[in-house]
Amino acid sequence: MRGTTVDGPGFRTSLYLAGCDHRCPGCHNPSSWDRYAGTPMTIDEIIDIVREEDFDVTLSGGDPLLNPESTARLVAALKGDGRNVWIFTGFRWEDIVEVPSLLAAVREADVVVDGPFIEALKDPDLLFRGSSNQRLIDVAQTLENNRIVLYGH
Amino acid sequence: MIQIVEKRDGRVVGYNEEKIKAAIRKAMLQTDLGEDEALIQKIADRVGMNGHQRMTVEEIQDRVEFELMKSKRKDVAKRYIAYRDQRSIARQAKTRDMFLEIIEAKSNDITRENANMNTDSPAGMMMKFASETTKPFVDDYLLSTPVKNAVKNNYIHIHDKDYYPTKSLTCVQHPLDRILKNGFVAGHGESRPAKRIETASVIACISLETAQNEMHGGQAIPALDFYLAPFVRASFIEEVKNLEQLVDKDLSHLYDAKFPDYLRKPLDNLEGDERLLQHAINKTVGRVHQSMEAFIHNMNTIHSRGGNQVVFSSVNYGTDTSAEGRCVIREMLNSTYEGVGNGATAIFPIQIWKKKRGVSYLPEDPNYDLYQLACKVTARRFFPNFLNLDATFNQHEDWREDDPKRYLNEVATMGCRTRVFENRFGEKTSVGRGNLSFTTINIVRLAIEVMNIPDKGERIARFFEKFDKVLDITARQLDERFQFQKTAYAKQFPLVMSVLWNHSEKIGPNDTIESVINQGTLGIGFIGLAECLIALVGKHHGESEEAQELGLRIVSHMRDRVNEYCDAYKHNYSVLATPAEGLSGKFTKVDRKVFGVIPGVTDKDYYTNSNHVPVYYHCSPRHKAKIEAPYHDLTRGGHIFYVEIDGDATHNEEAIMQIVDMMDKYNIGYGSVNHNRNHCPKCGYENAEKDQHSCPKCGTKFETIQRITGYLVGTTDRWNSGKLAELNDRVVHQ
Repeated sequence: MRGTTVDGPGFRTSLYLAGCDHRCPGCHNPSSWDRYAGTPMTIDEIIDIVREEDFDVTLSGGDPLLNPESTARLVAALKGDGRNVWIFTGFRWEDIVEVPSLLAAVREADVVVDGPFIEALKDPDLLFRGSSNQRLIDVAQTLENNRIVLYGH
Repeated sequence: MIQIVEKRDGRVVGYNEEKIKAAIRKAMLQTDLGEDEALIQKIADRVGMNGHQRMTVEEIQDRVEFELMKSKRKDVAKRYIAYRDQRSIARQAKTRDMFLEIIEAKSNDITRENANMNTDSPAGMMMKFASETTKPFVDDYLLSTPVKNAVKNNYIHIHDKDYYPTKSLTCVQHPLDRILKNGFVAGHGESRPAKRIETASVIACISLETAQNEMHGGQAIPALDFYLAPFVRASFIEEVKNLEQLVDKDLSHLYDAKFPDYLRKPLDNLEGDERLLQHAINKTVGRVHQSMEAFIHNMNTIHSRGGNQVVFSSVNYGTDTSAEGRCVIREMLNSTYEGVGNGATAIFPIQIWKKKRGVSYLPEDPNYDLYQLACKVTARRFFPNFLNLDATFNQHEDWREDDPKRYLNEVATMGCRTRVFENRFGEKTSVGRGNLSFTTINIVRLAIEVMNIPDKGERIARFFEKFDKVLDITARQLDERFQFQKTAYAKQFPLVMSVLWNHSEKIGPNDTIESVINQGTLGIGFIGLAECLIALVGKHHGESEEAQELGLRIVSHMRDRVNEYCDAYKHNYSVLATPAEGLSGKFTKVDRKVFGVIPGVTDKDYYTNSNHVPVYYHCSPRHKAKIEAPYHDLTRGGHIFYVEIDGDATHNEEAIMQIVDMMDKYNIGYGSVNHNRNHCPKCGYENAEKDQHSCPKCGTKFETIQRITGYLVGTTDRWNSGKLAELNDRVVHQ
């Protein structure tokens, strides 16, 4: 999606990566659960599309962390291209840091929006997220301070 | 013997016996005995021979009736009389139906032509009756034949045709300083020069309202900040004088105290002069805030034009970097953010941020903080829009940073988009000038007429031939209206033509406005470039480079021709990217009736706004900006760039700033952001959900704010069918 304003600050190019095992009830995009739902693309092809705009990038899905190795390479390529990168994932930060491959996928990103969508906690007035258990985590600050630092704090 | 016949509408034609014969024959055919050719001829001869040299249609018909009654065919006479009655009723039926629709406060395209007008109120109905009955008068008596034909054939639309007989001009940018300094007379009141911010803000309202009654378009203040700044200082001095009384001390050294900003601060720990100064500042800020609040409130409640319309008001600001000017801007923005009543979005005035590098845009600029505030306000309240003073065509060679009257060299706009800046007959400025009248060309119609020519080159060549003809007629029509307008006396527009309009001080009330009217512009507009291109080459300019190239060729051609007309007729003609509120569906309806449903062309209930990429077309905001940008330089009579964004704009002020960055980068003149805003009139809750109609907190029906041709409306109840259809087709740019 080119130029959305709901997945992070400013206009963003949002990339939807297929495949998600969280299967949250009330998910706004269940068609992306199937890991074979999307169109296969190389990182170079994705970067070409991103370069058509000078917008920052959000990875959503699906869950980008279902394929952590390719997500890590994609994030590296996007950062190399000078983009600010946000990642939406159903995993909680506390779980991500325990799994080296997941941490490797997110550590270069700017913000991770973490946790499953919980319908009972749904609040449409929240900034850039669906339910109040989800957090906008400032990755660099969090890793540096070894405690969760929220975006904008 | 009858030679000349006077028709019902006053036109005079030669006598034609065949018409009488046809009418009698028609009546006979409805009788059992049928036709009697001999009698027909006999009666026709008698009426023709015995009549006066000049007779009206009614008189002639009376004679026919009389002759028929005398004959033995009383049955025919009966039919003839019945037929006359029917015709007479049919002639009036159209007017009657229109009157009934207005009386019954029905919602249709007659009463919804103008989304800002309340046609349900008595004054509103009265105006609508006048407006609807005036239009045919204009057609019959004020338009020349080629013009009338062009209107009839749906090639052109004359805007504000109902006002044509009044000789009124469209709009003016108010040089408020002239009024604030000298006072003015309006109605039965003479107002003295303003001394404090409260009076200044009220006088600004009265100026806009009075002028609205003298013109048919919008009213704007080109530099609200510059004009009101002196009264901020005057009010501050008043506050210091109050303190002098209180503390019984001479504080005159504080009158001219220099400080960078009027900001409210607590008095704790402040002593002596510092404490007194801060107190005076706090009081002043409160007064400025209330004055701005009152200004907004007045502009949304004071009705003009017989009490059925609020003023189409606009205010431009953003470039005054003085502490006082900044105070006006800040409090205007703060009041707007807070909203009116129970936090509702103010529909008026349209507010315009004057974005200028070095002044009000870049992080190092003196008014950058206020620019950020402006972005925050527009995310919630749709205003201010952004006027790009850095666009090449918006710059003024004489602008100097240290010139206290530099606003005279800054472009300002009527919020709807009308732009008046260049001037062949005097100073290049927006101030004290305005548009005289607009006419819009239906370029879609011209394209439809040639779309079946198989050879593309020939098709396009034929289009340009037709276009040239219609352009010529349009220029001529605007000149004809100009020649009519210029015969007005200054006293017909007491405020506009004594103070507001540039050079009007040189003419007396009984002089005509001929010597000053050339300060205004004549706008030649176009609508539906997208549909025009689809008809010509199968695709619109958002989806095909070929179409974009042709689109630019069409509008460049228009610009070139308009420059020729400036020389030929000696007027300030300009090209307008027509927003066309009432026009949106009107052209389309007629064209569809004639040519049927043509996919991509007449299959919707509206033609796309001027040079815009169609609202139904999905594309990124940057693509839209790149495509529409080059048209801004070509359409100096006015233009606007819109981006429709998804989600809650108040969550994402960065996106608003990025849109202004795009305007800066691609040389776009004027732009604005469209989004969705629901407001609960009961509990004040707001969100941006697209399809939510009632408040999730308390269940009350939401008021949803939308933008129509530059104006905000709180409900879509007053939108006409064309505009409603366009709204439903709007897609978010992503």
